[in-house]
Amino acid sequence: MLGASLSTDPVKTTSYKVVLPFYAYASIAFFAATLLLVFSAPAFGRHYFHPHVIAITHTMALGWGTMVILGASHQLVPVLIEGKLYSNILAYISFALAAVGIPMLVYAFYTFNMNWVARRGGELVIGAVAVYLINMGISMAKSKTQNVHAVFVFTAGLWLLITTIIGLLLVYNFSIPLFSEDSLHYLSLHAHMGMIGWFLLLIIGVGSRLIPMFLISKYTNAKLLWWIYILINLGLIVFAFMFLYAPPVYCYLLPVAAVAAALLLFGYYCRQAYRKRLRKQVDEQLKISVLSVVMMALPVVLLIIMIIGLWVAGENTRLVLAYGFTVFFGWITAIILGMTFKTLPFIIWNKVYHKKAGLGKTPNPKNLFSNRVFTGMAVVYLTGFILFVTGILLSAVVVLQIAALLLLLAAGLYNFNVLKIILHKPAML
Amino acid sequence: MNVITNNNIKSTIAMAALHNVIDPEIGLNVADLGLIYKIAFDEAGRKISTTMTLTTQFCPMGESIVDGVTQAMQQTFPEDEIHVDLTFDPPWNYDLISEEGRKFLNR
Repeated sequence: MLGASLSTDPVKTTSYKVVLPFYAYASIAFFAATLLLVFSAPAFGRHYFHPHVIAITHTMALGWGTMVILGASHQLVPVLIEGKLYSNILAYISFALAAVGIPMLVYAFYTFNMNWVARRGGELVIGAVAVYLINMGISMAKSKTQNVHAVFVFTAGLWLLITTIIGLLLVYNFSIPLFSEDSLHYLSLHAHMGMIGWFLLLIIGVGSRLIPMFLISKYTNAKLLWWIYILINLGLIVFAFMFLYAPPVYCYLLPVAAVAAALLLFGYYCRQAYRKRLRKQVDEQLKISVLSVVMMALPVVLLIIMIIGLWVAGENTRLVLAYGFTVFFGWITAIILGMTFKTLPFIIWNKVYHKKAGLGKTPNPKNLFSNRVFTGMAVVYLTGFILFVTGILLSAVVVLQIAALLLLLAAGLYNFNVLKIILHKPAML
Repeated sequence: MNVITNNNIKSTIAMAALHNVIDPEIGLNVADLGLIYKIAFDEAGRKISTTMTLTTQFCPMGESIVDGVTQAMQQTFPEDEIHVDLTFDPPWNYDLISEEGRKFLNR
């Protein structure tokens, strides 16, 4: 028996015009970050608090990771909450504020001048995040469906807001003493709120919905996801308190254990979704995204080694650098490299072919980009990534420079495919 | 799930046409995917009403799929007025995929 709630209106999802600027900006930021990496490779053989390292980290964290995730979440949150995005205009405002603020911030870090450029840049980024949160919050409040995935996304947005506010205060702290210690002291608090609170929560929240969807898997386990949510947030809050009250170093293993347990549970969740899938063939794009789930383990292992090392022999700056690199150029980049080609071709296909669907054979969304270029990009990226981590650990400048060139090439190939998708012209087969 | 209809012959023709409307993400057609719930033929008024669903409400590809169904039906029955209605009651689930569809996904 069919229900009475019929609608003749097609389901209106977020316009491609909202999402595309974020993707295009992120692609350019990824290329810019790898270009800066080529020019600044020797800096990765020194201390992590180096202007070029901080500039590259923020290009990757904000320009690349955050921009692509903000863009994708404007498209995916309506799917998660089974409701419409509240406002396209707020999405444009969020993009504009971030698009102006991020390069100002990166330029200020690169030249290490914490003057008005850094401050205004930071304020614009906070504005962008606040507008994004308002848009997501109202969209979720208006939706009839409340679910664990949406709670992950909103909480992640709150952590991003806290991270950016702390970041701005640290910028001010360089010239006006706001805190009892210098800004370097608070760097790990700022960084972990961003990495765990924003990136990890959001990726798990969205990934736990998308991975079963792409695999056509019957598996769902909201209870397990709530446990993951509690473990991550608890780990982060405990870490923040420990940071403020400075207990013995080994105590930091406690929040690390909470986050590591959450990652293991998420790995189990992905495995179950994979085992219960209806679609047997898994494409390359999903494989590289699943690989990034495995790559989450690498920074956790480095973090545990770092804490034990700090406890026994003091800080090892090479390990700190390698840890940060495996997060931004490893885990986050791998998931974006894969997911871009699972989402962007569909957004463009929808734009180009929705009026032609059903009238004849249209190209498959997967044919909108070159699979050979994608495979080449994946190989060059993985080689460059492994070499760069090796270069950091060995402080070998030549290895760092070769690896940086490979990562630049990977970014170039990524941009080629993104441009190929965005510029796709209609073709009937 | 069997499609509810008041004209088995015309419904078979319609379903054959709907085999050409593909869900771009899954790569499977809407007929084998089990998205079509009902096709009602109003012979006197020359109207055809198709009731269908989507794999998820607010599916990013939803508009294209609904347009595809409308256009395929219009191409097959050019003299008739075509209506496509969406419903999410009952919601789509994996058990609605046909045997052919399962074979396709198992390749």
